[in-house]
Amino acid sequence: MSEREAPATTSSASVPPRVPENAEAQAKRAPVTVAPDPMANQVGAAWRHCVPGYAICTRPRPARWLLGALGLTLAGAGTAYLLFVGDSLRAGDPGGFIAGGGMAALGGAVLGGLYGLMGGDRRGDADRLRPSTFAFDYTSGGAPRLGEQHPGEIALRFAPNFYFRDGGGRLRLFGHVGGIPGRETDVDPRPQVSEVTPGSDNTQPVALGERLLSVGVGTDLAVTLPYPLLRRSAHLGAAEIRWRPEVQIRRHDLGDRVIERTMLLPLTIGLRWYLSPRQRFTTYVGPRLDFVAAAADGDKLDRGAPNVGSLYGEVWYDIDVPLLVRPSAPVRLNGMFTLGYVHSRFDGHGINIGGAYGFLGPAYAGWHMRLRRRGKPAAVQVGFGSWFGSGFAAVFSAGVVLPDLGGKKL
Amino acid sequence: MTRRLRSLVSVTASLGAGAIALALALASLHSCAQPECVVPNYTDPECRVIVENELARLDAASGVEVRFVDPRGSDLDWDALGLVEEPAAGSVRARVASVGDFALRIRGDADEARTVDLELTNVDPRAVLRVGPVGDLDSGITLPQPGEPLLRRQLSVDVDAGAEVELRGELPCPERFTLAFVGDIQTNPTHFERILERIREDGEAAADAGAPLLGMVIVGDLTEWSNDEEFFKIRALLGNAPAPVAVTAGNHDIFRGAVAIYNSYFGPANYNFDVCGARVAMIDTASARLASSIEGRLGELVGRGDADLLIMATHYPPHWGLSGDGWSREDQPQLLLAELALAEADLIVAGHQHALRDSIIHVGGRDLRQIIVGTGGADQGLGVARFGYLRLRVDPSAGITPCFVEVPPPGWAGPANEPLASLPYCDT
Repeated sequence: MSEREAPATTSSASVPPRVPENAEAQAKRAPVTVAPDPMANQVGAAWRHCVPGYAICTRPRPARWLLGALGLTLAGAGTAYLLFVGDSLRAGDPGGFIAGGGMAALGGAVLGGLYGLMGGDRRGDADRLRPSTFAFDYTSGGAPRLGEQHPGEIALRFAPNFYFRDGGGRLRLFGHVGGIPGRETDVDPRPQVSEVTPGSDNTQPVALGERLLSVGVGTDLAVTLPYPLLRRSAHLGAAEIRWRPEVQIRRHDLGDRVIERTMLLPLTIGLRWYLSPRQRFTTYVGPRLDFVAAAADGDKLDRGAPNVGSLYGEVWYDIDVPLLVRPSAPVRLNGMFTLGYVHSRFDGHGINIGGAYGFLGPAYAGWHMRLRRRGKPAAVQVGFGSWFGSGFAAVFSAGVVLPDLGGKKL
Repeated sequence: MTRRLRSLVSVTASLGAGAIALALALASLHSCAQPECVVPNYTDPECRVIVENELARLDAASGVEVRFVDPRGSDLDWDALGLVEEPAAGSVRARVASVGDFALRIRGDADEARTVDLELTNVDPRAVLRVGPVGDLDSGITLPQPGEPLLRRQLSVDVDAGAEVELRGELPCPERFTLAFVGDIQTNPTHFERILERIREDGEAAADAGAPLLGMVIVGDLTEWSNDEEFFKIRALLGNAPAPVAVTAGNHDIFRGAVAIYNSYFGPANYNFDVCGARVAMIDTASARLASSIEGRLGELVGRGDADLLIMATHYPPHWGLSGDGWSREDQPQLLLAELALAEADLIVAGHQHALRDSIIHVGGRDLRQIIVGTGGADQGLGVARFGYLRLRVDPSAGITPCFVEVPPPGWAGPANEPLASLPYCDT
């Protein structure tokens, strides 16, 4: 799950919960009456099907087809750019993101379309999933090896929201503190260093022992675009733009030396597109600055000057699955499937295709659920998912959703 | 709460708790863990670490054991500093991986004296070879120098029953010398032959100028598809090179998971060697990552030791900047850069990007210089290709002076490109 978007957090203090994400809210602001669809009985009605219950007709199918076609085109263009323009012209940087992001957009559109065919293009629930206000995550470590320890990583995350009074946007503070619980070790498999140790099955000595501290913090400002922005955008769903400055720090304690890596993302901008009340496409892109610092034998870390890194980017496709949303039910249960791609290998393995290493970042797929008892201001969220790269890492998450700050009920 | 709802909630909670418990249990479970590379996959760098060390030692059919050892001294029984093969029973071939000094040890059969017919390849014709008992080489003999400037020597070594002898090659060191670096040959060994020919010509001129060419370094991608034919061709070319060649693997050299094809032709890809005051560290990044054990040994492999100068050569650039074509995981190149900064490395040479680049990388308070020289013949995409090699003039007391020699393809009267702002073309 993305720290930024996947699970957790909602809006509100009571049921019905308040303040859906604002672009979405704008689409819903009008009275909840079914707008007559003048083309309902004509040829292609299914294609032009409006989501019932909204004054402004939103047509998810053309929107998803548009996203899928754009994704396919971009994936092809990015791949062609990589293959034909060549390394001598520094082709990889935008090419990798365009190709990976395009594939993720296409994959999201296909999955969203399947869900729509199953009847998922309906009114969403206002208590849909957003990042938990506070959450605990566990990410599994590498495959078990004799003599090695791969305990995985834990993280305590936070993501409180502040909604603007006019309903035109929201500001989220997000971050985490975590790392490896204990020490990760890897062995030296060289045959000439093997030796039998009494009481141990393992003959290979430890080559690498590492403790890791992981810290990150950022803000995500989302501002609703006027909706409909253009005449036709009324049919394709609302959108919002985002700005998400962020810093990520990883401190590796290798025993006699400490190495600290910092990724600074000052100008990451994003776009969210509400393809349907239950489906959202979100992308971020921005420049990246890297700091690397090292100190041995207890010396002080000197972070020095930054290096300009490659592009940073993310692509997410979220599909809400309301499971139990009857007003009379004692609890409200919402699910969300998330598919994502992160164009960065700061924390792990990217996707490699054959010998084409290092062009792409990892992908994510996850399922998360929010459970809220009727009338309660707090909700709980649990979920699981996996990062896919050259290998995979399972992610488990549990968190609590507290009422948002600011904002106004719509 | 209805019964159905209660069930749903309890199932949900149970699933979440169970999944977390299962993950934690798996993370700490070792009873089913197996050692590294039980099922070999040589696209995995850790499997290549194992095989490169195994191939540096041979139990020959005649009962003798031949193994490479570190000429600088080591606690280990052998080191991954070469490739030992037995192409036919009784005949041993050893390819020295490094440039400069090297050492081999031959342990005799326990019961009978043996004579080992040994073919040494990738040995500088100027190297002085001595054979004698281990620990008392001075009481041994010095072999006569070859009459021709070939990288190949043949000798027979008598080993008494139960005895151990050492064969040591020592390179006389000039005050200044030259090293040549290039990477990414791939589909174009024909043009790489032209580059080799240019290096030979330049080496003769460098010797006349008092800075002889002592070695070449290839930073990976010797082949396009990791085929035997491609490796055979490149090994033959490098066997006739103007100086010994140190090689490491590139991503195109490790496509075959079932066969350690690179290592079976060239031996190790992770090693270091000292040549006349300069240490060259070769690091295997062919999988766009380091083997975890190599990550743990970086302090040893890219450490400066007693050398005056330190050069690190690898395939994937530790800092790929705006190319976007980077490592599979970013923590490792950044850790590598940090180790290089701690060791105060003088130069990083890499390939992979089919281009010539020269950049400064800031690591803490230190600046590291990285030159990418993926100009060995591989396709460079759009634009005018810039083929050639990086020449380093090395003076251990004064430092390293790099310049680039462009070797344009047939049809160009001279260099087809302008030099980089920070990296001049060589004068001669």
